[in-house]
Amino acid sequence: MFLLAVRRASERPSLRPYHIALAFAISTTAFAQRDTIMLEPVTVVGFAPERFMAGLKIQRLDSATLRQFRFQSIGDLLAFNTPLAFKNYGPGRLNTVSFRGTSAQHTAVLWNGLNINQPNLGQTDFSTLPVAGFERLSVQYGASASAVGTDAVGGSILLESSGIQPTGIRLLVGRRQASFGNQQTQAGASYGTEIGKKWHFSGKTLYYDGRMKNKYPYTERSGYYMEPSVAEQRGFVQDLILAGKKGRQLSAHLWLTDNGSTLTPENPDARQLTRTQSRRALVHYQTPTWTWRTAFTRDLIDFGAGDYSQLDHTATDRFLTHLEKEMAWQLGEAGAKVSLRVGGEVAHYRTRVDDYTAAFISENRADLFALSRCQFGPRWLVSANVRQAFVTRFDPPLTPSLGAEYRLLNGPKYHLTAKGSVSRSYRVPTLNERYWKVLGNPEIRPESGLNKEMGLEAKWHPAESQQVTASLTAYHNRVDDWTYWNPDRNYRVENLQLVVARGVEAQAQWRAIFPNWQTGTTLGYALNRSSQERVYNAYADDIVGKQLVYVPVHQGTFNAYAQRGVFRFTTQVRGQTRSFTTFDNSNDLPGYVLVNLLAEVTGQRGHWRADLQAQANNIFDALYLNVGRNAMPGRSFSLNLLLTYNSESK
Amino acid sequence: MKMQFFKVLGVVLLVGSLNACREKDPEPEVYELGVMVLNSGNFFDNNGSVSYFKREKTTAIVDLFEQENNRSFNGGVQGYAETGEHSLILVDNDKAGLDKVEIVNLGKWTSEASLGAPDIENPRSVVGISPTKAYVSCYGATGVYPNYFANPGYVAVIDLTTLKVVKKIPAPMGAEKMVKLGNEVFLGNASGANELLVIDATTDAVKRTLKIGAGPEPISPDVNGKLWIKTGFSVVRLNPQTDQVEANMRVGTDSRKSPSSFAVTPDGRGFYYIYSFYDSVSGVDKGETHYFSIEDTSIPGNKPVINRAFTGLGVDPLQGLIYGGVTPSYKQAGYVVRYRPSGEKLDSIKVGIAPSGFFFK
Repeated sequence: MFLLAVRRASERPSLRPYHIALAFAISTTAFAQRDTIMLEPVTVVGFAPERFMAGLKIQRLDSATLRQFRFQSIGDLLAFNTPLAFKNYGPGRLNTVSFRGTSAQHTAVLWNGLNINQPNLGQTDFSTLPVAGFERLSVQYGASASAVGTDAVGGSILLESSGIQPTGIRLLVGRRQASFGNQQTQAGASYGTEIGKKWHFSGKTLYYDGRMKNKYPYTERSGYYMEPSVAEQRGFVQDLILAGKKGRQLSAHLWLTDNGSTLTPENPDARQLTRTQSRRALVHYQTPTWTWRTAFTRDLIDFGAGDYSQLDHTATDRFLTHLEKEMAWQLGEAGAKVSLRVGGEVAHYRTRVDDYTAAFISENRADLFALSRCQFGPRWLVSANVRQAFVTRFDPPLTPSLGAEYRLLNGPKYHLTAKGSVSRSYRVPTLNERYWKVLGNPEIRPESGLNKEMGLEAKWHPAESQQVTASLTAYHNRVDDWTYWNPDRNYRVENLQLVVARGVEAQAQWRAIFPNWQTGTTLGYALNRSSQERVYNAYADDIVGKQLVYVPVHQGTFNAYAQRGVFRFTTQVRGQTRSFTTFDNSNDLPGYVLVNLLAEVTGQRGHWRADLQAQANNIFDALYLNVGRNAMPGRSFSLNLLLTYNSESK
Repeated sequence: MKMQFFKVLGVVLLVGSLNACREKDPEPEVYELGVMVLNSGNFFDNNGSVSYFKREKTTAIVDLFEQENNRSFNGGVQGYAETGEHSLILVDNDKAGLDKVEIVNLGKWTSEASLGAPDIENPRSVVGISPTKAYVSCYGATGVYPNYFANPGYVAVIDLTTLKVVKKIPAPMGAEKMVKLGNEVFLGNASGANELLVIDATTDAVKRTLKIGAGPEPISPDVNGKLWIKTGFSVVRLNPQTDQVEANMRVGTDSRKSPSSFAVTPDGRGFYYIYSFYDSVSGVDKGETHYFSIEDTSIPGNKPVINRAFTGLGVDPLQGLIYGGVTPSYKQAGYVVRYRPSGEKLDSIKVGIAPSGFFFK
């Protein structure tokens, strides 16, 4: 009930962000303790404009799931909980996403509203983002360029830092010890205090350090070699929030990541190092109607081999400022509730890459947008958005979208909602695509996408203790002038292709809470049929209509848990059919099913709490291959311990 | 009605299962008389293969190894030889230390052994010495540009009775292509050195070195037993009896183009070759396929036999047809196009990715 009230408050024009956010913080803490599994996380005055995405599917991963994956990367988390496909180069190595049959550049990854795709590559390496680095995660399906901006063609991953922390201090230390000599350590604190009667100050600090030695006791699996590799991952997270009681909030967020992976480390002549570092800093200020944020990011990539005397260095800085204002009206006594958010963003990019057309390149980008949300009575919700981006020497298209939701059935124990959305999308070319010497193409045109989708969403309480949610979505996404590194022209980038992706996503979840125990099951399935449809060379007949590379047609996930007292058991399953590696589908990486088992126990004494988790991954020792057709690891185990001290707990 | 349904169903299942039994036990196929196509694959995808077809057919078994062994090579195919009861395939993985020599049964293509690092690293060329012995030239562990050849090369001696590497014959860095002539093996060089290495195939020891010219690549002997060698933009004719260079001719006059993929004709009286250049404007290789006779005193390279360049070239000693490997891109299947010696196109056969060499049997 409390949260329901919060949600209603969030719909009201006169928001009270401090109260709401605090409520949220308390609710997530409660959630983490799994007392209130039925509650849904509610993003209140969030960084990302989810409220203006009517008609689109948004999946929020609950905090219990995030906690289970807190020693793993976001790639692992998403693989077992969403129908996203991954192109994986190996443990601790590059891992990129394919969302709804698109390429790695077609998924926007936002951290506190800031697009953190690496600007030179236009993609995110999901192995470099540990789940511990953020507090909330939503997956938004389908093109949402009008609300999110560039890259949101297949969908968006929305990450948020921790919100307001309760009063008191909480210390945390965690350790993961896994097979193959792999381990991770985390240490941090969260804290909060009242400052006078009007202000609340809180924050969170976290340091993490992971080492993957990948010392496999075997050199091959069923005739497929294991790649010798090691990886290191370090990071630092700092969030500070000053919240006033009149809805004003000032926060500062910092996320530093440093990842290194080395191939064949034992071979001094042929070893290969890839080091990626990101520094992300963001200051956010908001009042009940205004939001302002300004950010700085620095992305560094170093690649070298042999004695590392010559490292290829890529350095890109970005300065960004974002300002938006939200207005709301109630039209008549029982009329529509209308919210309008207008704003703009300016960004300055500076990049230094050895192989670019100039030693130093800078570029400016700006966005103007207007997002609207209209609630007509209890049944209709409509969102109409528009965005225009501006980029130095480049001309992105005007990007409108229209989405609607209609409550078909609205009973006391169930409801059924129909959704639909039509949206344009665009993608600003990556810096590599525009400025790479020889292979880049300064004349590259914007890709032009049109996404249409419709779906049903249902929620049902068959009994007081049980809840069923289900959704079914069908989409059609057509992207023309799709840029690609054309292998028959020595990988020069060109606007050659027309890609049509269409598919269906189904998701169902059942949760039940009984007096002494609780249980839940989640099933997900996705069909993604994505193909290139344009004839542009003599051998295109072999390619046209074929499934895009690294996009499995069928994928499924299954999760089930049972909890009794302090014990919890979980099964995680992910399966996918083969994914092709050639444009004519003559070659593929075989399909596979991975099954993980987890057992967890929690103990509490005084201010101290311990969470112990035992994980068995790939328990059936399934053979699956990385992008280079070498084997991924077989069965493995890990033991994770999280110790927390809470000054407020009794 | 219901009973009848089950009867019909029963009969269907029975027939089905009998058919299944019949299909399960075929005569093991023997891959004799035919053409092996070496597909190098896309380097970072490690998806090379060997395709096989009978000459009268226009369809190929695209990945013969996978068909017979239910796994793929996991690397590019770099070389191929047959000797005794064995076929040897050189496999180059994009990751250091994962290269290997796959040894399969000659006729059945069932796997017999995989020889990997540290015995085999960056295998380049393979020749059969006797029914029980083969040589594999290797770069060793390579480094990074500009010091790509970080280590000396070697020739691994494989004992085909024990299926093991029994000796490494030291060689200069960049040990590349080998040609066996009589009881001697001539080893070329890819690192820019000027010498051919001559190895005694009985003692497995280096006999002598021959100064030829930059990056010597032995091609094959002609009808007179003379060894032809490519060096830079030229070919030289070597008398292996006397070690005398008898002829040295520049191939073609086009400053942009370079010759490659030499293939001797069945009569041993001439060579086909590809004369091409990389066009950085269009991003593709451009050129043609030419011919020269061993009697020629100059090679002008201005009258193509086939107005097209290939990623691999071969001439069938049995039928004399010219085989060209076509690679539309490294991300899709390639084709073998067959031509009459006159240059007239006959047909094409879909094979694996990047067909780059042929073995005729």
